[in-house]
Amino acid sequence: MYLQWRLRILYTKILGALQTMPQDAAYRKYTEQIVNDRFEAVKTVSNVGKLEQKINGGQIEEVIAQAEFELSLARKMSEWKPWEPLIDEPPPNQWKWPI
Amino acid sequence: MASTAATRTASGAFKAVKPLISRDIDEAKRRVRELYRAWYREVPNTVAVFQLDITTGQGRDKVREMFNKNKHVTDPRIIDMLVIKGKMELQETIEVWKQRTHIMRYFHETETPRPTDFLSKFYYGHDP
Amino acid sequence: MAASLVRFVRGGLNKTLNLSRNAAFIQTRWETTTTETKPTVRPKDEVTHNRLSAFGEYVAEILPKYVQQVQVTCFDELEIMIHPDGIVPVLTFLRDHTNAQFRNMSDQTAVDIPTRPNRFEIVYNLLSLPFNSRIRVKTYTDELTPIDSSVSVHKASNWYEREIWDMYGVFFANHPDLRRILTDYGFEGHPFRKDFPLSGYVEVRYDDEVKRVVAEPVELSQEFRKFDLNSPWETFPAYREPKDAPKLEAGDKPPAK
Repeated sequence: MYLQWRLRILYTKILGALQTMPQDAAYRKYTEQIVNDRFEAVKTVSNVGKLEQKINGGQIEEVIAQAEFELSLARKMSEWKPWEPLIDEPPPNQWKWPI
Repeated sequence: MASTAATRTASGAFKAVKPLISRDIDEAKRRVRELYRAWYREVPNTVAVFQLDITTGQGRDKVREMFNKNKHVTDPRIIDMLVIKGKMELQETIEVWKQRTHIMRYFHETETPRPTDFLSKFYYGHDP
Repeated sequence: MAASLVRFVRGGLNKTLNLSRNAAFIQTRWETTTTETKPTVRPKDEVTHNRLSAFGEYVAEILPKYVQQVQVTCFDELEIMIHPDGIVPVLTFLRDHTNAQFRNMSDQTAVDIPTRPNRFEIVYNLLSLPFNSRIRVKTYTDELTPIDSSVSVHKASNWYEREIWDMYGVFFANHPDLRRILTDYGFEGHPFRKDFPLSGYVEVRYDDEVKRVVAEPVELSQEFRKFDLNSPWETFPAYREPKDAPKLEAGDKPPAK
């Protein structure tokens, strides 16, 4: 039960961090989908083995690690604001290959 | 501060470039002076540690010569790059990662000067 | 009588041998029955290609601030071209996002293309173990523009960046320990730059008078030969540009039929 409890805390925190982003940010949209999906699974399934199968993200410890990374990423993302338009176009022919 | 603003507007007129370390030429020059001082203080230590056959004065003259070689550079970014490389050289010297041969390479002892006039070039041989 | 008999037998034996040799040694040349139209063309893997391009679009949609271009090469490798300011965000996203998890930096290097205004391309090759997929992130810089170090994201890039600094002279800002890694102390220049001569600037020898190794300007009695490296074959057929179709001007009449 400890593992599910930890996952619940992490997912709540991720969803909280995502709240600061604008509604139409693609990062928020996709991450909310992933997290909500897994959160539902954590809420409904109590058996760890079945939960692992349902989430399909590796062992439950891996899923926890992924949630931790996602949480730190979400907090950094609200600083970087990557949903804004492109900073600068590349110089002409920068990505042309062969030259 | 005023000079900083002036360079900013000046650079904005042409093309905004990312500074390497220094924001303007004064800061870059300050870094050069710091590096020169550090080298100047390090010379006697280097001569002692590496047991070089030169005097401290000769070493300091060489440091001065190396700095004077780049005195024409005015772009703060190029100055910064040279300072960065000079700092790395200084670190290699202080930590004695270098050996005597690397220090003595600055002095070009064994090199024969290239001929300049026509006849000596002819005697010298292959190189035009 | 006996001798003739023997001879006869031998002749008969020879005859049968010849016969059998004729039957066994007639070789038929192997011929293909099907005609191959593209004998050396790599087979296309549509599934991988589509999966990679879908993930590329996913990344580009999430990070529109940094991603300039996404492409899947003809060898099914996903490449993401980003603005130099976005190195740390993009690499962190690729490392930490649940759908990416590129937690392994397998290689980082640079490419020197002197004709471009930003002559250096910095290339990051990442590996995602959970999804068994690779991605390549590319960005650009020039000799004097510092580029953000990715050591804070991937520890592995510490020595890679030192190598790039040593070989190309690209300065990495916020690198914890930027110094030379491959060249000798006191070496000047960056050997992997295209304008660095193949023979270098100095040659090293032991001098008996000063009792140490000395470095002197390199002297070659003969300059390197210039080989003709033009190939009659096309080097990059996959990147062939369509020839300009002849365009009709507004006033021109269509060609007579």
